[in-house]
Amino acid sequence: MQLSLKMYHMRLLKLFIIVLLLASCKKEGTQWQTQWLLPLVNDTLSLANYYNDSTLIQNAGQIEVNLTRQVLDLGLADLIKIPDTTISQSFQSNFTVNNVTPGFEFVNATKTHNLDLSDIQLKKVRIQNGQILLKIKNPLNTAVLFKIELPGVSLNNQPFVYTYTLAPGTIQQPTINTETISLAGYEIDLSGAQSLEYNKLQSKLTLQTDPNGPTVSLFNNQIFEFEALFKEIHLDYAKGYFGSQAMIANKQFTLPFMDKIVGGSLALPPMQMSIEISNGFKMALRAQIEQLTNTNAQGVSYSLSAPSIGPSMYLAPAIGTWNTLQPSTMLLTFDGNNSNLQNYVENLGAQQDIHYQIQPNPWGNTSAGNDEAFAHSRLKVKVNAQIPLALNADGLTLQDTFDLNITQDLNKSHVNAAKLIIDATNAFPLASDLVLYFLKNGQVWHTVIADAQLASAALGQIDPTDGLLKKKSTVQISLPQSVFIDLNDLDQVVVSAAFSTTDPNSGLAIDQAIQAGAFLALQMKLQLQTQIKP
Amino acid sequence: MYRIFFIFLFVGNVLLGQQSIDLQLMGHYNSTGIVRQIPDAFFYGGTIDSAAIDKSYESLKQRNNFGLLMGGYVIWKSPWKLPLAKDKLLAEYQWTFSIGAQQYTGLHFSKDAFGLLFKGGLPYLGDTLQLNPLLLESTSFSKVGIGLSNPSTASSILLNFVQVQNHFAARLNQATWFQDDQTAQISLDLDGTSNLGSPSLGFGLALDIDYRFGTDTEEEDEQEFQLLVQNLGAAYIPSHQSYALNGTMQLSAMPISWWQNKKLDELGQQILDSLGFEKKVQSSWILMPASILLAKRINEEPIKKIQAYYGAQMLLRQSYTPFVYAGAHIKAKQFWQTGVGLAYGGFGGLRAQAYSILKFNNKQLILRSDNITLHNGASLLIQFRCEF
Repeated sequence: MQLSLKMYHMRLLKLFIIVLLLASCKKEGTQWQTQWLLPLVNDTLSLANYYNDSTLIQNAGQIEVNLTRQVLDLGLADLIKIPDTTISQSFQSNFTVNNVTPGFEFVNATKTHNLDLSDIQLKKVRIQNGQILLKIKNPLNTAVLFKIELPGVSLNNQPFVYTYTLAPGTIQQPTINTETISLAGYEIDLSGAQSLEYNKLQSKLTLQTDPNGPTVSLFNNQIFEFEALFKEIHLDYAKGYFGSQAMIANKQFTLPFMDKIVGGSLALPPMQMSIEISNGFKMALRAQIEQLTNTNAQGVSYSLSAPSIGPSMYLAPAIGTWNTLQPSTMLLTFDGNNSNLQNYVENLGAQQDIHYQIQPNPWGNTSAGNDEAFAHSRLKVKVNAQIPLALNADGLTLQDTFDLNITQDLNKSHVNAAKLIIDATNAFPLASDLVLYFLKNGQVWHTVIADAQLASAALGQIDPTDGLLKKKSTVQISLPQSVFIDLNDLDQVVVSAAFSTTDPNSGLAIDQAIQAGAFLALQMKLQLQTQIKP
Repeated sequence: MYRIFFIFLFVGNVLLGQQSIDLQLMGHYNSTGIVRQIPDAFFYGGTIDSAAIDKSYESLKQRNNFGLLMGGYVIWKSPWKLPLAKDKLLAEYQWTFSIGAQQYTGLHFSKDAFGLLFKGGLPYLGDTLQLNPLLLESTSFSKVGIGLSNPSTASSILLNFVQVQNHFAARLNQATWFQDDQTAQISLDLDGTSNLGSPSLGFGLALDIDYRFGTDTEEEDEQEFQLLVQNLGAAYIPSHQSYALNGTMQLSAMPISWWQNKKLDELGQQILDSLGFEKKVQSSWILMPASILLAKRINEEPIKKIQAYYGAQMLLRQSYTPFVYAGAHIKAKQFWQTGVGLAYGGFGGLRAQAYSILKFNNKQLILRSDNITLHNGASLLIQFRCEF
C-alpha cells in the first residue's frame, strides 16, 4: 500500500508538472483522418436526342448521320441596299418683290434627283419598310403653305403629297418644321419623266403665302427649302438591272469538339455530300467555290478537291412572278469517285475556311433592265451529307482544358487525397484511356492516369433485354496527396481521353459501326481522404 | 466586478477573529468509452491515429458521455463578524468572500455519431446511422461572491454575481444518415437546434451553500456530513445566435448538364434549404451548471487509523450522470493522511480515486484525483487552506 501510494503521488506530481508545462506551450493542432464517398454524376450519354432533328437516322440497326444544313440564304435586302439618301429643293428670288398679296403662289418647281446605287440601275421598287424625314424652312414674315409632291412615289396609286402651313419666320431665324412619315408599302418609280431612265426621283415644291396673312415683301436673300431624308429603306420588290458586282467572301467557322482532338486518327466509311444552289432572283447568276479547306488541331490543313471546286458555275434566272416564282437550281455532288471528301473529313479539321464568289448578271445587262426580285426571292446554298456512323479510331485523343480555381488551407480541415471512381456501361464500340494533367502557368505539374481502360462494347456481350452489345467497366483515377499539396498553385486541369475502336481479337483498330440505341451510362463517385483539423 | 469585491472587503464592522483562505484548482475530463488519447489530442494537440479511434469505437455503447469540468476559486473567510448582539442568531457569522471561474463542457453522443465524425462516411456504406441523441453543452463563467460563514460549523452561504463568457448548446433530437453502397446517395434526416452565445455578455446570480451537519464535538467518532451546493442560479444572455435544422436531404449524383450549370456555393445553400435551416438572434435565460454534493466528511482528528468516506454528486446538466464514490481514509502520519476508493458516474464509468492531505501547522494541502486507474480521462484537484 505504501509503495502504491508513493507511486500515486509521483504520478500526481508528474501530471501537475505536465499540465503546467503544457499550459505554457503552443500546442500542435489536433487532427485525424476521415474517409468519405460523394456521389457526383449519374448520366446516360446517347444519341437518342438527335434522332428527330434530321441529324441522325436509324437504318438497318445502324445509325447514319443525315446532315442537312443551309449554309447560305440571301434575300433582296442582302442583294440591293439603298443607302440613306437626302434630296433637297430650295427657292431664292433673284430680286425683291414688294406687295406680295395673301394667297399668292410664288413657287411651283419640279426637280429630278439621282440616286447613287453604283452599277445597279433600278426602275421600280417597293418599300417593305423605311421612312422619310421631311424638313421645311420659312424665312418670310408671313405664314407659307408648303406643298411637297414626289410624283414617282405612290401608295395605292396615290402620289405622295405633303402639305404644311409654316408660321412666319425671319431671315436670321427661319421657321422650321420636321416630320417623319413611314414609307412602308410605297412604290417608287425610278424611270424618270419619260419612263426610260433609272435611279431617278422627282420632287415638286409649291409655295403659297397665307391667304389670311398680310401683304409682304419677298427679298432676294430669303431661302425657302425642303429636305427629304430616305432612311433605312428595305425593299420587297425591285426591277431593273441589278448590276454585276461580284460578292467575294471568305468565311471561317469552327466545328464544335473538333478543336479538342489533339492526336490519333479516324477512318470513316465511304460517304456522299451534295450542295444544292437555288436562285430565286430573276437574273442570271455566277457562283464559284474557290477553295474549301480545313485545319485540324495539329495545324495540318487539307483542301477539298472536286470538279466543282474552282470553276465558275452559272445559274439561269428564276421564272414566274409573285405567286408563280420558280427558282433555278444546281446540284453539286461530292463522293469518293469525284472528290477526296473522305480524306477531307478524316483530317478532323475544326477550322473550316471557305472562299466563294457570287456574281449577278455575269454577262452584263442582258435583260435590258428587267431583272426582278420579289419579297420571297432567295439565293440559297444547302449542304446535304449522309454518312454511316461507323468509324475506325486509333488513339483518337479528345482533350479539353478547364480552369481550376480550388483552394484549401492545409492548416485547416482539408482533402489529403482523392479517388475518382467511374462505373460505366458502354454500348459504343470505343474504348477510352483517361489522363488528367494538372497545370501551373501552362506547365504540367502532375499527370494522373486512370488505372484501367473504359472498355469498348466490342468486348462485351449482347444484353437480351435490349439487344445491345454492352460492356461494364470500372475506372479509378487516384489523385495523390502531392496534387492537393500543390492545389492552391494549380490553375488548370486538362482532361484527355484517347478513343480506339480496337478489335478484341487482334488488338488492332478496326472499322466499327455504332449500334442503333448506343449509349454510355456513367456513374461517377468521388472518394475523399480528409484531414480534419478542428 | 473586482472593485465590488474590494469595496466589500473594507465595509462592515470589524471584529477580530479567526480567518482562513481556501484556494482550489481542479480539472477533470472523462468519458464512458473514448480512450484518453483522443481528448488528450484536443487538449494538448497531436494526431489521433486510427488505432485510438477504432479502440474507442469498439468500447462505445449506443449512448455515451464525454465531459470536461475545470475551474478554480478562492474563498476568504474574513475575521469580520456581523454587527449583531451576541445573543442574536447570526452574531457569530463571519463575512465571507469568494472569486472563481469555471468551465463546463458535456457531450452526450451516440456511437454512430462518433464513427461518422472520426471515421467518415465511407466505412458505413449501406448502414443506417443513428446520430441522435446528440447533446452538447458548454458554459464558461466567472463569479464574485459575498456571504456568511459559521466558524464553528464551517457552514457558509454565498451569493455570487456571475458573468458568462461563453455558452453553447446544441441538440439533435432526430438524425439519421444513410448512404447507399451502390449509388453513394446520401440521405440525411435532421431535427436539431443550437444556441451560440456571444462572449462576455451573459450575467446572472448564483448561490453557493456549504451546510455541515451531524457534527457532535463531544464525540470524536461522530460522523459529519456535508451538503455542498454550488452555482445554483441562472444567467441572462441578451443576444445569441440560434440555429435550427428540421428537414431531410438527398445528395445524389446528377447529370453532367446539371454540374455544368451549377456553382458549388449554390449547392451548399440548396442543402441548407433542404434541411430547413433557420438562423435568428434571440435572448434567453440559462441555468448555471449547479453542483449538489452530499458527502460524509473525513474526521481529520480520528481515533481510528482507517475510516470510510463516501458521497454523491450531481450536476444540473443532462450530459452529466450522478457521480458516486466511496473509499477508505488512512491516517498514515500525523502530517499525512491519504485515501483510496472507487468512483462511478459523472462523465465516465468505474475508476479508482485517491487523495492525500498534508498538514503543516495551520496550513493544509490536498491533492486528489478521481481518475487514478481504470480510466478514460484525467483528474486533478489541488486545494490549499490556510487558517490564521
